[in-house]
Amino acid sequence: MPVAKDLRSLTDREVVALAQAGREAAYRELLRRYERPVFSLIYRMVRNRALAEDLAQDTFVKVLNALDSYRPDHKFSSWIFKIANNAAIDQLRRREIQTLSLDGAPDARTPHELGATALQARDRSESPLAELEARELGSAIERAIGRLRPEYRACILLRHVEGRSYEEIAETLDLPLGTVKTYIHRARHELREYLSPLRD
Amino acid sequence: MTDMELTAAPRDEFVVRELSRLGRHSPGPAFSQHVLARVSRPQPGAVVLLRRARAWTLEPRRALVLAGGYAASAVLALWLVLPWLAARSAAIGFGAQWLSERALGAVRDAALALAGWALASGLAELVRSLSPSGERMWLVLVTLSIGYAGCVAGLHYLLRTPRGKNVLVVPPV
Repeated sequence: MPVAKDLRSLTDREVVALAQAGREAAYRELLRRYERPVFSLIYRMVRNRALAEDLAQDTFVKVLNALDSYRPDHKFSSWIFKIANNAAIDQLRRREIQTLSLDGAPDARTPHELGATALQARDRSESPLAELEARELGSAIERAIGRLRPEYRACILLRHVEGRSYEEIAETLDLPLGTVKTYIHRARHELREYLSPLRD
Repeated sequence: MTDMELTAAPRDEFVVRELSRLGRHSPGPAFSQHVLARVSRPQPGAVVLLRRARAWTLEPRRALVLAGGYAASAVLALWLVLPWLAARSAAIGFGAQWLSERALGAVRDAALALAGWALASGLAELVRSLSPSGERMWLVLVTLSIGYAGCVAGLHYLLRTPRGKNVLVVPPV
């Protein structure tokens, strides 16, 4: 029976098989692997920390309670990202989300909360000036991502932040491969437009 | 749209580079605990059956009725119902006699076998040394019956589910 340390060396499918057998350590391992990617994707989609946390929780509960229906011929990551993306898209359709400065969460009230919820996008070893510039650039990119259409946003985040292949994104979002490529191309184009003042 | 267009556009390099440098956000510290508290892990079939039976049985009013009925019927069957039926119904008596003869035959055979084994093993001496009287036997039987009913009632009160309370089960860290 593998211990938690050994679980880290197993593939997603192997961990899922252990979880299907009722092993709690396997559930924790799946959470450890995917809590940040899933939360980040949802957070960048809905742009509200508390809401993103609720949706991420719902995503994991849905996935972990339905592990018996998981088909091993599909990638687990595609499955969980699909459910996360659907949760975020449903939420976006239900209500208009106000834009958020990723310098800090919108529900943050004090400077301390703003600092605690701000995005840590860069290497901490950078010089203060470089860190400030990088932070401003990171915030500008986050804002630019927030201006994209949700479909473009999901594609560009899965491709360039999560490093997923086009085929996997197509499977995740239930879109034709060509559509995924088009969305990514357009998203990059729009981001380039939004960020052009920074480049200059 | 070709892959070349997507991967080799130099004007996108800045965007792609900056996107790939974006960090990941972390949820709150209790995130995984909240998730696990809402997840039901699969259980072996026998455990599920046992839990369902227990949940059904331990519903307070139902459990009281069950325990009371079980205790009463056991006592009645032991002390009243079976002898009464056997003595007063000819048909039942005939069937019971036939069955009892069979049963007695089997018991006699078993008893003989047991007696043979007991005599051979020296257990007979021990049994003979006990020699319980009729009064003692009654006392033992009554004590056993009361104890049995008490155990049933006690188990019900010990195992009953909390009524009207939502108990949040938080798994260990």
